[in-house]
Amino acid sequence: MKDITRRNFIKLSGASAVAVAHSLSTYEFAHAAGPRPLPAGTPILVIVTLNGGNDGLNTVVPYLDSNYKSLRPQLAYKEDQVLPIGDGLALNESMTGFKSLWDKNQLAIVRGVGYPNPDRSHFSSMAIWQSASRTPIKTGWIGRWIESQPENPFLAISLGSTLPALFQGEKRSGTVLPLSGLVTPTGMIAKDFAKTSKKTKLDGQLSASAARSVRDLFTVADVVSPILKNPAPPAADLPTVIGGNAGGESNLSAQFETVAKLIAAGVPTRVWSVSLGGFDTHANELSAQSLLLGTVSNSISKFMSQMRTIGRSRDVTIMVYSEFGRRVRANASNGTDHGTSGPVFIIGERVVGGFHGEQPPLNRLKDGDLAVTTDFRSVYGSVLEGVLYTPVDRVISGWNDRLALFTA
Amino acid sequence: MVSAERLAIARLVHRVGFGPKPGQFAKMLKQGFKVSARQLLKSGLPDYGDVKTAIGITDLGAQPKPNSEALRPYNVAKDAQLRNMSLWWLDQMVGQEHPFVERMTWFWHGHWATSYSKVYEPLLMFDHIARLRKHAIGDFSQMCEEMILDGALIYWLDGQLNTASSPNENLSRELFELFTLGVNQYSETDVKEASKALSGMRVVKNSGLVTKEPRRSYSGTTTILGTTANFESATLARFLSMTPACQSFIPERLTYRFISPASSMMSIPMKPAAQKKSSAYIIKQAFETRQILPTMEALVFSESFKDPINSQVKSPVEWVVSVFRALQITPSTCSQPDVLLKLLDTLGQRPYFPPSVGGWPADEAWLSVASSQNLIRAAQVIVSEGDLSPLIKVPKQERVDALADWLGVVEWSDRTRAAFDGALRDPARLTALAICSPEYLVSA
Repeated sequence: MKDITRRNFIKLSGASAVAVAHSLSTYEFAHAAGPRPLPAGTPILVIVTLNGGNDGLNTVVPYLDSNYKSLRPQLAYKEDQVLPIGDGLALNESMTGFKSLWDKNQLAIVRGVGYPNPDRSHFSSMAIWQSASRTPIKTGWIGRWIESQPENPFLAISLGSTLPALFQGEKRSGTVLPLSGLVTPTGMIAKDFAKTSKKTKLDGQLSASAARSVRDLFTVADVVSPILKNPAPPAADLPTVIGGNAGGESNLSAQFETVAKLIAAGVPTRVWSVSLGGFDTHANELSAQSLLLGTVSNSISKFMSQMRTIGRSRDVTIMVYSEFGRRVRANASNGTDHGTSGPVFIIGERVVGGFHGEQPPLNRLKDGDLAVTTDFRSVYGSVLEGVLYTPVDRVISGWNDRLALFTA
Repeated sequence: MVSAERLAIARLVHRVGFGPKPGQFAKMLKQGFKVSARQLLKSGLPDYGDVKTAIGITDLGAQPKPNSEALRPYNVAKDAQLRNMSLWWLDQMVGQEHPFVERMTWFWHGHWATSYSKVYEPLLMFDHIARLRKHAIGDFSQMCEEMILDGALIYWLDGQLNTASSPNENLSRELFELFTLGVNQYSETDVKEASKALSGMRVVKNSGLVTKEPRRSYSGTTTILGTTANFESATLARFLSMTPACQSFIPERLTYRFISPASSMMSIPMKPAAQKKSSAYIIKQAFETRQILPTMEALVFSESFKDPINSQVKSPVEWVVSVFRALQITPSTCSQPDVLLKLLDTLGQRPYFPPSVGGWPADEAWLSVASSQNLIRAAQVIVSEGDLSPLIKVPKQERVDALADWLGVVEWSDRTRAAFDGALRDPARLTALAICSPEYLVSA
């Protein structure tokens, strides 16, 4: 396994092979007894959370529907402002990266995704999506999956500074990795912290979590720190635009960059979580949303290209979701208020590209809102089974539906 | 065996205050829980005088045009004001002997969670927190009446964009869901009707002046929760605060933060005999008059407050403030105040910057590899600057116990004691280990 990782590194690093090989050997040296690299061919899931409630209608745009223009005249895109993908639908003009993934059959768009009796509160709706439960529960769906697996602090990693509810388990949760990386003390005090963070049967649940968070810090930092000093794998087959990739150095692209480095180094992580906020577009929506969607699209297409460079593109699946869509009609501030269903994107070489689920019809709105045509748990069902090889009802009790999102 | 009294006092000092100053925990142990609790609850606020003048919070005028020469000094002045008011507030939390009212103000900041990240006006955010402080232990209905007309809050939730001709529901929805009633206690129609009642407000961005413009306002009656009236902002907010749902909701939120999230979900028994023993029932009854102080009294003296099951993780501000109190470091005059603010930012909890209108998370959300790293790094800097005399003046063999009393820790586990053993000669190392130990990160 180590050899495979080393070959990949040398292959991708080109001229700087010597320097990279050096830091790699540091990693290998430090981890002769550490975690085994993720075997090639192991599926990896990257979950992208769009916080704030993304306006699905201006993401996958029904630009030919006359109701679309009449219901939100101030916010409707015209035919020459969007990227048509068939079925009377088009991607937002900023999503050129998604368009090329679509053309390669590597983008599945699940339409009208939500749940019965939609909740319009950000918090409740995000809690529903992240817990995969209609009634409030403490654990996230990935958190429950983590607890079904052997303990491994690398298993699920979220980029950011706090633990997302998605990764929350009853007793064990996913790991949080700050974008800036991890720094740990050295010398005597490091040995002391190894002691204060030891497991003890007397710990209550929260104290046990506190001890684990310190223990895992040292385990994870030892592995991750040298890797983050490496250059990111190049996006070799991506056309370069003069002045760099549009979207530039957003926080999301930086998160993806870190994920790419760690996957390239073979870190044994099965689930990654990244996120982008700002989708709560109650006012002046058009330019703000377009900018954000461009960031999402560019970051993901670059990341997929990096995965091709290192030979992991067939292993990686990306899922993009938001807590709800928005109202069909615009409000007085050229924005939209909280709505119901929206599209979910699944990206990868193993996905069945194209549309899944019905487009919520604009001539049959419910109280001015889009209908929910696909339950989000069916999306999770196919992701759990197709990517994480786990029966859906083990993670979402009583749920057995799934979509045909993956090729065999 | 640890006494129930020691646990209750540790909770009192850490949760209803911001942790003990040197000697304070030992003094409270001597006085006992009841006396200490009464002392804390009736502590009130010192006379702050004219804080705005003292720390230079002023109306900076309208934002200069993009690319104009005036823009840079304007932004510099804004940053300076934000810095001053951030450090001033932390100073109050750290400096006061009994910071109960500041602790309550901090709670309400998470309740009416409004962020500088969108408001972007120091004056408005300062006034927002000042309003919360004014009513922090007072009358909740009055707090609601004033907050619904607070410039920062209205701007944060797009209230100034909400007009009669095309309502923006953001403020209306959160008023129901997060500020007064809680989820599932109202219908979508109520939200729509309430946004009519709240329509037509204008906020002067630089001064915070809020006015109602008849031209943009809905005029006429609205029907909210079955009551039809000529509701306007203040009457609506008071009306919602007086509903039975609100009488349950606010005590639940107080219980969530001061006792535990699990405890806040305890249902109230139906039988009168069982109700008398139910902490949830007692706290809710205390809120019948919508007075916050008696509600907090009921909470602090409830059985749940002392129940060992209700442990809590300290949030980053709670951790930093309690460490600064024990080590007697003043935020505004410490060697690197900007690093301190950056630390709170990195840890995900900086005053004036709640992550969303839902406020900050709780418990395990604060425990991660990322947070451990930041706490450990910070601890090493903090101990180099703090006053460690409570430890230094004690002989080596008594230091572990002295450490527990100094920091207000209920008891050290054998695991942590074993780690202390090698560090007894080094008070700085000992202190760094202690403040990053599971026993300190978690309020038992």
